[in-house]
Amino acid sequence: MKETGLGEFEEVILLLVGILGQEAYAFKLAEEFEAQTKRSVSIGAVHSTLSRLDDKGFLTSEMGQATASRGGRRKRIYTITASGERALQAAKDFRVSLWRRYPTLGTSDLPMLALPTD
Amino acid sequence: MATRILQRLIRQELAEEVLGDLEEKFLKTLKATSLLLAKLNYWYQVFNYLRPFAIKKTKIQDSNTVDMFAHNLVLIFRHFRKQSSHFLINLVGLSAGLACVLFIFLWVQDELEVDQFHMKRDRLYQIMSNHSDASGIFTWKGVPGLLYDELQAQVPEIESATITTDAHEYTLSVAETYHKANGKFANRDFFKVFSFQLMQGDPKQVLADPSSIVISESLAKRLFKTKDALGKSITWHFWGKTKTVKVTGILKDIPEASSEQFDYLMSWDYYHDELISFKNWFNYYARIMVVLRGGADKIAVQEKIDKILKERQERENVSLFLTPYAELYLHSQYENGLRAGGRIDYVHLFIIVAVFILFIASVNFINLSTAKASFRTKEIGIKKTMGASRQSIAGQYFTESILLTFISLLIAILSVWLLLPQFNFIAQKHLSIEFTSEFVLALIALVILVGFVAGSYPALHLSGFNVIEVIKGKLAKSKGDTWSRKTLVISQFTLSIILIVAVVIVYLQMDFIQSRNLGYDKENLVYFEREGKLIDNYQALLNELNDLPGVHRAAVSGFMVGGGNSTGGVDWEGKTPEDQIQFWEIRSGDGVLEMMDMKMVNGRTFSSTFKSDTNAVIFNETAISAMGLKDPIGKTIRHYTGDKKIVGVVKDFNLLSLHTAVEPTIFLYTPEQTHFVMAKLEKGAEISTLAKMEDLYHSFNPGYVFKPQFVDQDYKALYAAEERVAILSKYFAGFAILISCMGLFALAAFTAEKRFKEIGIRKALGAGTVRIMMLLSKDFGKMVLIAILLGLPVSYFMASRWLSDFAFRIDLKWWYFLGAGMITLTVAMLTVALQTVKAASVNPVQSLRDE
Repeated sequence: MKETGLGEFEEVILLLVGILGQEAYAFKLAEEFEAQTKRSVSIGAVHSTLSRLDDKGFLTSEMGQATASRGGRRKRIYTITASGERALQAAKDFRVSLWRRYPTLGTSDLPMLALPTD
Repeated sequence: MATRILQRLIRQELAEEVLGDLEEKFLKTLKATSLLLAKLNYWYQVFNYLRPFAIKKTKIQDSNTVDMFAHNLVLIFRHFRKQSSHFLINLVGLSAGLACVLFIFLWVQDELEVDQFHMKRDRLYQIMSNHSDASGIFTWKGVPGLLYDELQAQVPEIESATITTDAHEYTLSVAETYHKANGKFANRDFFKVFSFQLMQGDPKQVLADPSSIVISESLAKRLFKTKDALGKSITWHFWGKTKTVKVTGILKDIPEASSEQFDYLMSWDYYHDELISFKNWFNYYARIMVVLRGGADKIAVQEKIDKILKERQERENVSLFLTPYAELYLHSQYENGLRAGGRIDYVHLFIIVAVFILFIASVNFINLSTAKASFRTKEIGIKKTMGASRQSIAGQYFTESILLTFISLLIAILSVWLLLPQFNFIAQKHLSIEFTSEFVLALIALVILVGFVAGSYPALHLSGFNVIEVIKGKLAKSKGDTWSRKTLVISQFTLSIILIVAVVIVYLQMDFIQSRNLGYDKENLVYFEREGKLIDNYQALLNELNDLPGVHRAAVSGFMVGGGNSTGGVDWEGKTPEDQIQFWEIRSGDGVLEMMDMKMVNGRTFSSTFKSDTNAVIFNETAISAMGLKDPIGKTIRHYTGDKKIVGVVKDFNLLSLHTAVEPTIFLYTPEQTHFVMAKLEKGAEISTLAKMEDLYHSFNPGYVFKPQFVDQDYKALYAAEERVAILSKYFAGFAILISCMGLFALAAFTAEKRFKEIGIRKALGAGTVRIMMLLSKDFGKMVLIAILLGLPVSYFMASRWLSDFAFRIDLKWWYFLGAGMITLTVAMLTVALQTVKAASVNPVQSLRDE
């Protein structure tokens, strides 16, 4: 059975694939990731995540146009699948449900903990 | 370049897009920054592509090697399952053997690590002294304290040096609470020389002030309930002296790998200025450790130091020398001024035992594999006809033995892990398994070594079979085959016998030591230190103690098992300059000799009824004959504390361990300056008597800690090393014989199986069960007998060497050896009998009908 959960990095990449649309290929995604999160990432890391998401069935891909800036090589464009969208939605719902249960600051209905004094 | 690497490594279908992406990135970085940075970034990106998903599958997957390896594994597992009893015996034997080896490894490693944590250990030496007298050279750790200042002035090769005392349990008090803790005095350079860690305080300054104390973390917790004890005051007590000191440093608890254990350090200056009354060049109260400068010549320095002493003493009989401090723990014994081993002997002994056990366990594997080879000849033959080379068959057997060793190792590690607490208890250590890279490497080396040793014979032997004969089913019944098997069994049992004899001899000697009449009665003698009010007020306590039911007798006594003070400062009538005798000095009060049940051969014991007894001394027989005094009673001798009159001669008794002969001993009558109160308790009610003594003690000496010690326990402690070795070797010898017998058991099973039909026919023709058992056991009996014949002389030699270390020892009787031989033979024959009985009692119908 394939694992179907989403890691944090995977989730962001999946979202970026959806956002970038026709421009969603490894280099662009890595760049966008760095721009959005201010965290540096290598193309290789992004690519390996993409291929993992592909294995899980959240993405499909096909070879796109060649451009001069790539030395005439084609790029692989990723598109999000229906099950990918579902996984994203599930991840979001899960967080929202947790946030609902999160106590707002100041209301302490938690029991006081007796701290051991040394 | 980077592109090429990537092209070579990356999968074909990914190459295009990846290279495209990378080029785009490169151009972009180039625009934003410099060419160099862009190139660096390119490299970085390439390395980040070296991930499992992107890299080409390696070639090995479709190669024959892997298939063959997998095939071999399958065969091995099938084989294990088919011959499960054989497999189990190998497995249990090897695991037990490896477990022993692992225990020994841990123990040895721990021993070798002692004192190795000092950073300057390569240049760190202790100054020792050799004292020659008529009986030989006596080596001692002590040197005159005055030497230290001279070293600083005259020996520039010394980088740093520290002067200390041995640790002693003194009393410390904080407010009105008293504690006993182990402490020593050391001067300010202590932390320059040793690498003990300070948690708080400046290592250069902590011992500079005469009223400073450096305490360990755990002592700080004990005294103050906190580790933050800096600046607090403590009062130190010893023999009526007190000193209030301030905590200037907190010491990290002394690591177990240190041969010296102590809880606190106090200033040497205080000790030397206030506590030493005989400050001269003949009083060896100090220990000095020096760190030489890099490149300094040890011998030259040693000569310089020795010259200082000789010039000051204007005598020649004492010489100083340097010994590497870090080696002192393992090489602590000196005989006639030369290093004579010590704990290192036990390290060597156990390493040899480990090799023995490993060998015995490997032999089982070798024997069983070759013996059972007949069942596998077809397999080998067919493989060979199919084109298998000799190497590939040998490889198969090596795989098998290494795999088996590996499984055994896992079991061994598990059992070591489970049994480690018990082992630690016996060995008095705190060993633990830590998978450091070194340890893992050692384990891998062990597996490969044992795998190869155990596997080599079967692998090379079986792979060399002639194909045609093997296929025909004719296993070349070479004589060599059986011979080598027999030789291996014989050597296995020879080693077992040596180990068994060793255990028997060690046990008998330990028993002899414990039960020997020492010349005094060590049972139920208890003593405690005189301190606080007991220094002046001891007579009242003695009176009360003597009246206490359960106390047979009480006295002040300076008797200490293992010696205590030693002096050369005795002159007598007719003494020549060559007569240098070291005397053990025992201070005593009234009634000590009677209390300890020592016998007088001449004269009387001390008694306060004689006013003149303040000048009385008693010698032992050895001292009298060493001095050559005839008719000693009434003669006067000169002791370094004044003229003394001999009032009695006591029968020789063993003050020291039984390793050494009785040495000259002198008793001084000094009730006021005798440090212990000793009492002889009546048998049976020791515990309740001790409780009463404690109450009495507290009424006399409120606040102080009552800590009674037993003389017989001190005596036992003298032989702690031997005792532990005795227990450990018992287990190891047990394992050795167990593993040997398991091998024999399997071999007997194999023989019985092979001769199944023969037995059937013999029985059908009328042979009885007993007769068949004899037939089957005869060969094994012969092998064990040969092993006994070989093993006994070797063990005789080893036993007499070990015993020669003891001045008082058991005689080696012939029946010790015969007994050990009989035990081995009996165990071996019983093992074989388990199999032969089964084989011999089978109904011949069963064995014969299937044809």
